[in-house]
Parts: sequence; C-alpha cells; structure tokens
Amino acid sequence: MEEEVIRQQYSEREKLNIFNQEFMPHINSMYNFAYRLTLDADDAKDLLQDTYLKAFRFIDSFQQGTNAKAWLFRILKNSFINDYRKKSKEPSKVDYQEVETFYNSDDVDRQITPDLRVEALQDMIGDEISIALNSLDVDFRTVIILCDLEGFKYEEMAKILDIPIGTVRSRLHRARNLLKEKLSEYARKMGYKNA
Amino acid sequence: MSNLSEQGNRKQDCPNKRECFEMLQLILDGEATPKQKDTFLNQHLEECMPCYRNYHLEVAIRQLLRTKCNHSAPQDLVEDIKRKVAQNLAR
Repeated sequence: MEEEVIRQQYSEREKLNIFNQEFMPHINSMYNFAYRLTLDADDAKDLLQDTYLKAFRFIDSFQQGTNAKAWLFRILKNSFINDYRKKSKEPSKVDYQEVETFYNSDDVDRQITPDLRVEALQDMIGDEISIALNSLDVDFRTVIILCDLEGFKYEEMAKILDIPIGTVRSRLHRARNLLKEKLSEYARKMGYKNA
Repeated sequence: MSNLSEQGNRKQDCPNKRECFEMLQLILDGEATPKQKDTFLNQHLEECMPCYRNYHLEVAIRQLLRTKCNHSAPQDLVEDIKRKVAQNLAR
C-alpha cells in the first residue's frame, strides 16, 4: 500500500527530540508486541532493536505530532513479516475467506455463549492466559494485542496491518472466540463445571 | 454499575443475542457512540441476564490480558538502543 509520504527535513536535534519524546515512550508496548510475535526473547530483542533503528533511519517520513505509536507498530509488523516470520514454525495461513463471513454463520449463536465463568478467570493466577494467547495463530493473537492490550482503534489496526476494517473486526471476533475456547479448556481442567 | 442483585429483574434469555454481542464488542473496543453505550450499559444490561454475564466475562478477560500479558523491555536493551541512535547521529 503506497501512501503519499510527505518527507520532512528535521535537524539532528529535532530528530533526537522526536526519537526521545515520541518514539521511546512506546518501547515497552513495542517490546511486548515483538515478544508476542516472535515468542522468543532473543528474537524479540533483535526485532525491537531493528525496528527502532529503522524508525530513526526513516524518521523524515514521520510527521511530528501524528500517531507515533501506530507508525512504529506498523514498522515492527513489517519487519517481523520480512525478517522473522519465515523462521517460525507456524502452520499455513488461516483461510480468511472463512473468517470474513463468520459474523453471518449459524455458529455465531453457539459462540456467543461460551462455556466460561468469571470466577474461573479470577482463579487463573498463573500463565494460563499467556499460554492461551500464545497458542493462537500469530494473526489472531496480533489483533487481540493491538486491540485489547494497546487500545488501537479498528481503523488504526487496519492501517498497521494493511487489511480492510471488516477483516479487522472479523479476525477479532474469531480470535476472541478461540481464546475463550482455550480458557474454557483450562477452566474445565481446573475443575469448573459449565457456566 | 448497578446495585441490583445478579438475578434482579433480568430476563434469562436475550432476543437480540447477535446484535448485543456485536454491540458489546464495539463498546469495549471504544468504537460505540455515547448513546449506544448508554442504551446498552445502563438500560439493556439491567434487563438482560445473558448480556450482563457476557459483559462481565469480556471485561474480566481483558483485565486478565492486561495484567498477565504485558512484558516490559529489558532495561539494558533500552539503553543499547538509545546508545546506537546517539552513535548514528555522531557519525
């Protein structure tokens, strides 16, 4: 997706200011995202470093005062796809045609009332949610992270991920149901009966 | 939030399950209008048990995600990055 990029001409001091004041504050969120994408602490560090250096190198493409977080996340996601995704042993891509029509299927009713209780969640004091999240396909855990952890709006997510807003929503829908199914499994193992 | 007991006057079945589920997600994702939020949270949840439960479930999942799935960048990595950028400029 090629956008009309207005190139700035920042002085060195301006560059450093932007970097420190607009980019660095997001480093923890960015690290978290890098970690959830790669599922490996060392790869996450490399990916994070690559991304921030890239962000600095291309800082003239960034318009001061605009959404730095979204801009940075987009770079991270692209770096991940280009340099790190090949390494992973992920299964082949999910059939998104299926996902797009999910909202209209009859399965929706079954999915809406999950087999899960709030009490069970409150007792998940270990890594259950983290493991459940990591077990999702990378594209599914990505949307959950961007939306639920980082608070991006659908439109921002669409830009970060280079997908239509409709796909963002249906992917979120599917991801959340998959996550709930995992959590229900844990709840059953912990001895909770059906809701 | 309401002080009604869980059951209160809430119906056990929701006639608009699908729409309500979508609305719930829109609200929690910050994509609903103030009117939609008000209608759903202050009116519908008072009358509908399944939606009331779903609301609390969705909120609990998000809270769990936020408390358990947030890693901070290691401090040495942060310093490393800052240093490399400063070096970049110095060249």
